[in-house]
Amino acid sequence: MASTTIAAPHAPGGITMERIHRREKLFNRICAGVLIAFALVWLVPLAWALDTALKPNAETTKTTWLIDNPTFDAFTRTLRETDMLSWYGASFIISSLTALGTVIAASMAAFAISRLRFRHKNLVFWVILAGIMIPGQVLIVPWFREFDALRLLNTYWAVILPQIPAAIGVFIFKQFFDGLPRDLEEAARMDGASFFRVYRRIVMPLARPAVAAVAIFTFVTTWNDLLWPLLVLSNPDLMTVPVGLATVQGAFGIRYADTMASAILGAIPLVAVFLLFQRNIVQGIAGSGLKG
Amino acid sequence: MSTQTSPQTDTAARGIAPTAPRRRSAPQGRSAAAFLTPFLVLYLVFVIGPALYGLVLSFTDASLVKPGLNGAAGLGNYGEALSSADFWSSLWHTMWFTILTTPPLVILGFLLALLANRVATGRWFFRLAFFAPYILPSAVVALIWMWLYTPGLGLLDTALGKVGLTAPSWLGDATAAMPSLALTTLWWTLGFNFVLYLAGLQEIPRDLYEAAAMDGAGPWQQIRSITIPMLGRTTTLVAVLQVIASLKVFDQMYLMTSGGPNFATRSILEYVYDQGFTNYRVGYAAAVSMLFFLVVLAVSAVWFTLVRRQEKEV
Amino acid sequence: MTNRPDRWQPTEGVALSRRSLLRAAAMAAGLGIAGAAAGCSSSVASGLTASRDTGTLDYWNLFGGGDGVRMQQMLDGFRKQNPGIDLAAVTLAWGNPYYTKLSLATLGDRPPEVAISHLTRMKNLVRADLLQELRSEDLARHGLTPDKFNQRAWEAGLVGGKAYAIPIDTHPFVMFYNTDVCKKAGLLDAGGKLIPLDGEDAFTDAMRRAKEATGAYGGAVAFTSETASPWRMFQSFYSQLGGQMLAEDGTRVVIDEAKASQVLEFMGSLTRDGLFPNPIDYQGSIAMFANGEAGFFFQGEWEITTFQTAKLPFSMTLFPNVYGGNDYAVQADSHTFVLPRQPSNDPARLDRSLTFIRSMLDQSKTWTEGGHVPLWLPFADSPAYAQMSPQSNYASAADAAAYDPDGWYSGSGSNFEIITGSAIGGVLAGASTPQDAINQMRGNLEQLAGTASPI
Repeated sequence: MASTTIAAPHAPGGITMERIHRREKLFNRICAGVLIAFALVWLVPLAWALDTALKPNAETTKTTWLIDNPTFDAFTRTLRETDMLSWYGASFIISSLTALGTVIAASMAAFAISRLRFRHKNLVFWVILAGIMIPGQVLIVPWFREFDALRLLNTYWAVILPQIPAAIGVFIFKQFFDGLPRDLEEAARMDGASFFRVYRRIVMPLARPAVAAVAIFTFVTTWNDLLWPLLVLSNPDLMTVPVGLATVQGAFGIRYADTMASAILGAIPLVAVFLLFQRNIVQGIAGSGLKG
Repeated sequence: MSTQTSPQTDTAARGIAPTAPRRRSAPQGRSAAAFLTPFLVLYLVFVIGPALYGLVLSFTDASLVKPGLNGAAGLGNYGEALSSADFWSSLWHTMWFTILTTPPLVILGFLLALLANRVATGRWFFRLAFFAPYILPSAVVALIWMWLYTPGLGLLDTALGKVGLTAPSWLGDATAAMPSLALTTLWWTLGFNFVLYLAGLQEIPRDLYEAAAMDGAGPWQQIRSITIPMLGRTTTLVAVLQVIASLKVFDQMYLMTSGGPNFATRSILEYVYDQGFTNYRVGYAAAVSMLFFLVVLAVSAVWFTLVRRQEKEV
Repeated sequence: MTNRPDRWQPTEGVALSRRSLLRAAAMAAGLGIAGAAAGCSSSVASGLTASRDTGTLDYWNLFGGGDGVRMQQMLDGFRKQNPGIDLAAVTLAWGNPYYTKLSLATLGDRPPEVAISHLTRMKNLVRADLLQELRSEDLARHGLTPDKFNQRAWEAGLVGGKAYAIPIDTHPFVMFYNTDVCKKAGLLDAGGKLIPLDGEDAFTDAMRRAKEATGAYGGAVAFTSETASPWRMFQSFYSQLGGQMLAEDGTRVVIDEAKASQVLEFMGSLTRDGLFPNPIDYQGSIAMFANGEAGFFFQGEWEITTFQTAKLPFSMTLFPNVYGGNDYAVQADSHTFVLPRQPSNDPARLDRSLTFIRSMLDQSKTWTEGGHVPLWLPFADSPAYAQMSPQSNYASAADAAAYDPDGWYSGSGSNFEIITGSAIGGVLAGASTPQDAINQMRGNLEQLAGTASPI
């Protein structure tokens, strides 16, 4: 304090900056405090679920964080009594195939729109973009009749196929491709490479960030989807994790530890995906969101 | 469409202008068709086709358990929906949910991002805390929150009891159920807006703040005069994405209240589900879907106008 | 996202350690998934190839709580007797979602082999062509002949003279009474049995005396945020008067205004005079009876387990015959076993399913402990049942069951019950007059009756 007042007449600018910095520091500290408080509150439900799942069922009615007899029984019981393992398998296969299909179909279409010249290009692009406006939820009724007619109800294909033509994927890939430099491709074309070779060997390797974003997003949204899989996967051994959890939750009744164990088991794969790919996920949201 | 993709012409073109950009050469229609086919076929079969089919269904008495269209209904389904108290109440519940969730999600998302932007370390922790719930399946979220809301035994009842408050019947009371669902949704999806705002904040050049600080503006003034105006586009985006997501709400109600108590939380999509798949009334459900689609389109149109206006201002 | 500089890039050191950790986690996750895939390869394959028959006996039911526990015992009994049959039982959430799931599974060619359905919901499943007809020769092979079932329930389950469902119980609306309260109120006879409450005056008088004994309320019926209970009570009284709600498969609304308003007037008087609590929801009504604040409680018999667990001094009997005279009636429904339509015919599968159903019927005693009235005569006519108290007190309800009327929108837990129950609840709440309630019911039901049936 004293030093600043002494220095004041000589360097007015310096004083202001220092005071600002000090003020900012204090402000930042308050910010951090508030933020940490919020973050802790936000973690309570997950922590409480885990806490409950580690208790024996009988102990769950005592609302306390302390666990007298911690046990993994609820987890083993859930794995034994539900089809959780088939649900993992179904979710994994459905989400992977959907992500793969979306990346291939969307990137190819985006390549054509970004790199090739053809008639009615704008029309095609706008028709595809219009798809963003049609939420899948309004199509559940015709979809169900369609898959009934195709005899594909109660197969994974009923979940996979309608999710693949996602217009947003084409949009993201097109934006990305438009931003890529073209020299390499043009050189390759000069050397007689086919467009497919250019797409496969040059563009796609460069587009890895976009591939990651679209793939991870499709994977996560497909994994979490409830309404449509609920309609088409009606046999418990075919269900995805969310559908399975939604359908058999009633069976647990008041076995709260088991219920929480099933919730945590249902959450684990996505928590793993999140930890592995959090940067891609976060950037994907921020990027596609702002551009869209 | 065109013959320009044959190797000879390519070689010829190369021979003529090896370094020139290929803009002026002929269309590449056949290649384009090949590249577009996988997407467009699926798009026609699973988006455009069903959309048109749904429109057709909406003018019929089609049933889930009968083949064919089961007779024309003309505008009957639309008339029935528009004069049905259940339709309007489920539309209102959807709106009420949107009203309850959007402002807190937007404002809290903004505030927390603002705070996080000022904190240099430990960002991964905040991202984990706020964003991890967002990637969980709705069924997991519902199971956890139904346990928190359990009357008597739930953590919330106990916590409120400790400070001398009586908890409402969270999901069992017709007036409390929707706010309870909104609270769960706030916890679940806040991370999405948090991330969008954080990205938006980092777009703002630092020197703007420094210049303002030099002019003696305090943190609050900086937020008011720089941050909020600079985040206008993000806010429009966040708000519209939020409104559209809220309009499509289904999972929380289906899982946590089954639309109850006494249909007090039945959303429009759940109404479609009930009519189409529980009552087998596919034609009517298709008509309600179309009306719902119009609402979503209207919201999207509002967004378009807002973005246009913002772009003109910039 | 495209060319955006990476602002989230953590410092190198942190990134490295975290990345290696994550890599280890990824490997662990991969192993887990591989394990899962191996463990369930058959179902995964069937999900991709649309192959249908898994060879197991899939059985779907909707029993939670005490019913769920008893059903589990019965399933264990079946497994012990039939180690060769791979039984996969699934309990789904009750109500509309259950029937939706069952319909969708059948439409999607992956139905369970056997499922539970309420008798009143079963008929619509039949009309939607979702159930398999049960031919008498197949049934006879397993000893499931009509003469072994309660006649009323069996006949109520026929559609067009054909059998599609095998009923296991009737679950009537009954009257629970607190024996201590009734004794204090002088409502028990010398043998300790409840005096009959025949007629409006006898009923009201008993409620008044019980109210004096409890110091709070005479009886309780839930009607706040609850539609089934008021409907069940109304339907019991109204059927005793011989009233009908719907006719011609639900295409016509035939409410008898005189009878309906008589019943509604009477029901409304119970809350108006403070004999019944208002407002009161389902859980609240249970708590009130369990705490001794109400001497009588009107609900389905399945709540027996709740009060047994609470160690309450109580008994159960038939819902009072207030209006019926010689034509007693009480609202009821039955749980039935049905065989959803399979994509292919397989006699072996049919026999497996019927073996299972027969085994369930043979364990009727276990099921009856949960309060349900047995219909399987080898047990229902046995002394073993006669000795079960209070379960056998209301055995005759099976013969007087007033099922919900036919209609595509009718049945347990259906729109029909919601419409009628909320109108009746309005009278109990004192919010509407009997005439308002009748108009409300008629208006809403006529809208459904006029809608082209989807089945």
